[in-house]
Amino acid sequence: MTGVLKSLIRVTSFVGKELRELRRRPGVIATLVLGPLLVMLLFGIGYEGQRRPFTADIVLPEGSSMPTDPAFYQDMTEDRMSIQEVGTDKEAALARLRAQDVAVVVVAPADAEARMRAGEQSTIEVYWNEVDPLDDGLARLAMQIMVGELNQEIIRRAAAEGITVANAELGEPVTLDPNVIAEPTTAKETNVAPTAPATIAFFGPAVFALVLQHLAITLTALSLVRERLTGQMDRYRVSPLNSAELLIGKYVAYALFSLAVSALVGGAMVGWLGVPNLGGWPILVGIVLLLTFASLGLGILISLIADSERQAVQLSMLVLLASVFFSGFVLPVDDFIPAVRPVAYALPVTHGIATLQEAMLRGEVSSVWMLGALAGIGILLYIIALVRLRRLMHRVD
Amino acid sequence: MDSVSRRFGDVRAVQDVSLTVPEGTVLGMIGPSGSGKTTIIRMLTGTLGPTEGRLSVLGQVPLEFTRQARERIAYMPQLFSLYPDLTAAENMNFVAALFGVPWWERSKLIKRGLGVVDLWDARHRPARDLSGGMQRRLELACALVHNPRVLFIDEPTAGIDPLLRESIWDELRRLRDEGATLLVTTQYVGEAIYCDRVALLAEGELIGLDEPEALRRSAFGGEVLEINTLSVVDAEVLKRVDGVREVRQVTGRQLIAVTDDAGTTSPRIMDALRAANVEVREIEEYQASFDDMFTTLVTRHREARQTTDEEIAAREAVA
Repeated sequence: MTGVLKSLIRVTSFVGKELRELRRRPGVIATLVLGPLLVMLLFGIGYEGQRRPFTADIVLPEGSSMPTDPAFYQDMTEDRMSIQEVGTDKEAALARLRAQDVAVVVVAPADAEARMRAGEQSTIEVYWNEVDPLDDGLARLAMQIMVGELNQEIIRRAAAEGITVANAELGEPVTLDPNVIAEPTTAKETNVAPTAPATIAFFGPAVFALVLQHLAITLTALSLVRERLTGQMDRYRVSPLNSAELLIGKYVAYALFSLAVSALVGGAMVGWLGVPNLGGWPILVGIVLLLTFASLGLGILISLIADSERQAVQLSMLVLLASVFFSGFVLPVDDFIPAVRPVAYALPVTHGIATLQEAMLRGEVSSVWMLGALAGIGILLYIIALVRLRRLMHRVD
Repeated sequence: MDSVSRRFGDVRAVQDVSLTVPEGTVLGMIGPSGSGKTTIIRMLTGTLGPTEGRLSVLGQVPLEFTRQARERIAYMPQLFSLYPDLTAAENMNFVAALFGVPWWERSKLIKRGLGVVDLWDARHRPARDLSGGMQRRLELACALVHNPRVLFIDEPTAGIDPLLRESIWDELRRLRDEGATLLVTTQYVGEAIYCDRVALLAEGELIGLDEPEALRRSAFGGEVLEINTLSVVDAEVLKRVDGVREVRQVTGRQLIAVTDDAGTTSPRIMDALRAANVEVREIEEYQASFDDMFTTLVTRHREARQTTDEEIAAREAVA
């Protein structure tokens, strides 16, 4: 029998062994595959895609002509704020803010119209009580919108009065609409993206990529560590098996498994959760294979440096944590300073998320370099793993 | 093995061991835990290098085994290292494939291997559900599955009941009869009887290497006779008999005599006893157990070593 055939027999022995072992651990598979899917489903059902409106009090000056009905101001906030009370007691409103009964207090200027006629700016005071930097940003945005609306209302009112005065004094017809003076332009919004996915559809490909990477890393990391710790590696070292046969066997087994999981999860996403797949299945499978290849390398590398199963799990979780923060899953990669971005781009899932979202939601992958990056990471990790494994198998204590 | 030593830091695991295993024989390596048996096996299988000395297996240095050489070798580790989630048959299938056995030959080999270790009925059970003894047997079956020519088997009978131990040794000897060469370690000194040759190890040193009977003889300095008489006898009567090396008085009517040759010395002993008016009830060759043999040899080795150490210390003190 030729050496090539024997090599093939050894590689397939690993493929068969790994797949059989996976089949015998349905609990692990369920946790790794169904767990994230269920989380995603719950997220899709429960998350509204918008932050709940900030609660706000409005404080008007004594004797103001502005309406005291909260509904009037509510319309100005574009539902980013929920107006609780409109009154004139500034201190009472600030006390409610400090007690976190409301999130925002807006204090209207006392003499806005008069100062405007006098050619002076008035100041709208806004107070808020927020420590969450994301909420802080959203609160600022909501307030800018509301202040803008308030400004327009003040201008509208001043303009209307001015037009009335002009009519009376000059007797000439004025056709200028106060709304045009207050708001000379309006925006007509058009999103040219090929799809307008719901939250679950947008995050679907990202979760899919994260599940695949985590699955590949966790399973391979544990697989080789166990073999090292139980003395199985000694059997390998005595046998004619070489490092490349072992690695290829593992890669092929987990690639097949990942494809099966991808078919399951991808089918559920597209068919059940309604995530669009505009790019079609071939490109999806291609990305999945590249992502799996790169992730397996990471998992095998972890298994070759970990001293115990516990350490392998800890390192896998560390990669997961890094992936959640840096991969673009939650925060856009471009929001990080350039010095930190290489960390994001070193993670296979960063490229997996971006390319899967593009393929599934836009129908094509414009960032082709990311596919190259995935392949590059995969090849680099394979070479490192092979060198490390070769040292381990040929180590003479 | 030629003057092989292996150290782990300051610990001498194996010290100046030289031995040769003729093709087609079973060499039993016997010694207590920590005597260096596993270290020797690891060096012979190429997973550990010697600190000093030379090793050769199948004409090759173990650390540089070719793939062809590895295909002819089997190794059964001391600890269970198979896959608990795989069944007994699946584990064997995997190990066979690891050694390049094509799939169309495997089922026959698996059936034979599991039959030998009496696990055929348990072939569909996951390895984790097997008892400790069954797991050892499965390890053995896996080691044998690819018909190796040289087998390194580390404690195959540990934790296995005596009846099954015997059947395992039967299988090992069957392999020997088919031309395989086996190096088997065991803590059970009594299993020396199953081996063609026995290497006795203590504290990393080889303290005896021979056929089991020859080793037993050398432990006691000759062949041993047990003499029972009908009347009281004095050991002094036999000390002058030609061929008697040593006499020990067990009771007033029982003596143990170490002789050069039991067959030729027995009639002389009979004559000497008759001349002393002592009626003999029976004289028979005394079969000292291998445990006695081992204890005797280890004790002698330790005493010799202690003497050497004391001499060295005395010389150093004088210097």
